[in-house]
Amino acid sequence: MNRKNAYLLIIPALAIMCAFTVYPLAEGIRLSFTNASMLRPTYRYIGLGNFKQMINDRVFWLALRHSVVLTVIVVLLQLVLGLILAWAMKQEVPGMAAFRSVIMASWVIPVAATVTIFKFMAQPDVGFINIILRSIGLDRLVRYWFGDPSTAFACIILLHLWRNVPFYGITFLAAMQTIPESLYESAEIDGASPLQSFWHITLPGISHMIMVMVTIHVLWTFNNFDFVYLATGGGPVDSTQVLPVYVYKQSWDRYAAGYGASIGTVMLLLLAVYFVIYLLIQKKGEYER
Amino acid sequence: MIAYAIMVISVCFFLLPMLWIVYCSFRTQESIFTAKIFPPLEGFTLDNYRRILSVTDFPRYFLNSLRISSLVTLISLVVSVLGAYGLSRYDIKGKDAIIVGIFSTQMFPQVLMLIPLFLVVFSLNLMDTTTGVALTQLILVLPFCMWMLKGYFDTVPKDLDQSAEVDGANLFQRLVHIILPVASPGIAVVAFYSFVVSWSDYLIVSVVSQSQRTATVTLTISRLTASLLVRWGQVCAVATLTIVPTLILFAFVQRRLVEGLTAGALKE
Repeated sequence: MNRKNAYLLIIPALAIMCAFTVYPLAEGIRLSFTNASMLRPTYRYIGLGNFKQMINDRVFWLALRHSVVLTVIVVLLQLVLGLILAWAMKQEVPGMAAFRSVIMASWVIPVAATVTIFKFMAQPDVGFINIILRSIGLDRLVRYWFGDPSTAFACIILLHLWRNVPFYGITFLAAMQTIPESLYESAEIDGASPLQSFWHITLPGISHMIMVMVTIHVLWTFNNFDFVYLATGGGPVDSTQVLPVYVYKQSWDRYAAGYGASIGTVMLLLLAVYFVIYLLIQKKGEYER
Repeated sequence: MIAYAIMVISVCFFLLPMLWIVYCSFRTQESIFTAKIFPPLEGFTLDNYRRILSVTDFPRYFLNSLRISSLVTLISLVVSVLGAYGLSRYDIKGKDAIIVGIFSTQMFPQVLMLIPLFLVVFSLNLMDTTTGVALTQLILVLPFCMWMLKGYFDTVPKDLDQSAEVDGANLFQRLVHIILPVASPGIAVVAFYSFVVSWSDYLIVSVVSQSQRTATVTLTISRLTASLLVRWGQVCAVATLTIVPTLILFAFVQRRLVEGLTAGALKE
């Protein structure tokens, strides 16, 4: 087929991605070496100045730690709970088909709505969670769950799980359904327990899907801005501060565009290292096959 | 048994919160503040909806959202179908690099691109316009749509459109008559995904939108809970109207959604 046509086909996509992704990204990286501020029109290059400032920025280190911990906990829990959910949905019991068709609803609604729902449910006076707690006599637990430094971070984790676990479950289920049933039958004849066949047949069978889901969600969770910003804004007292929110606050609330960009660049570097490792593992996997 | 237990717990955890706000959207402020789950009948009302639809600017934001998301869906469909067809059917130099490049955009922190993006939109004179918001939101959906569709197109045998080309069918005819019918589940998913992601976007809209002209429902709802005395009934009504369009679309594509979402990842 004509190769010139092919370029014409992908040029619109590439043009949009270049103008609105590659160029802004390159500009963002360039800004990270400047003292750009939204308050003055001119700026100059200050070399690694921003990065030196970062070393002594307590909130930066806090946000970095939160981001890493959040990403690891969220992705691990989603993976485990997603596998359990997928296993359950694979059982052909009455009602399961209906269940499968509605369970992903939490994934399709806007994050801003999700946050609003949970903020309402977490209200100390009228929130559903606290109404339930009071009714079973646990009055001392009643609080505004997003406003308490000791529970806010857990609430953020919960929001991520609420949105994504059904998505994991459904995709894992789709992958499981491509595994031939005969494999399970012969394993059963050989006396394998259900757990053994899950470990030796199901997991290897969906390993590629697990890889894709984990990789993409590590990137998405680490970069996620909406949940924390809308639910807590990073507070109370920075107890939920994460890097994307910190970058946003530096750039737009404190007008420190250069410094904000430098933190964004560090985020990019960390994810790039992760992504390269993923590509190498994937290459190796293909080679072995 | 265990499967049933998981099912019941999941329904409570994943679906109850949504039902709860829909339920509370039909309750009066006083009824909500009694902190009872089942209030007496006079606690129910349609007033919340009446108010947000007639007194507030919500209908306008709803239409803004509809307009922006439809535009994103339209452009995303055209661009990603063409792009994915190109990547799936032709041996282009640097094809692997492009595919890895598309995938790797998922690791770019949007917050890092935000100020330059703001300047790009500004210099194109598209600030606070539907086009400006839609064009920038495209970067949220294009990588995933292209990746997904390419996976889909790869499953359509190449002989089909090659023989059509021999018969003299041009590119457009091949796309419309051969690829699209087979890949229609994938197309439906791309449309759904584009619409929902655009509808849900907060970060880009919060920067590109400057006034009521382009403010969306997502922007509105995030500002509602900021005030001290919150009219929770109305908040719930707004939240309900925000999630209902995405749920309706979801109901339509639900069956194809899984198939489409996993097409890219399952083929290997």
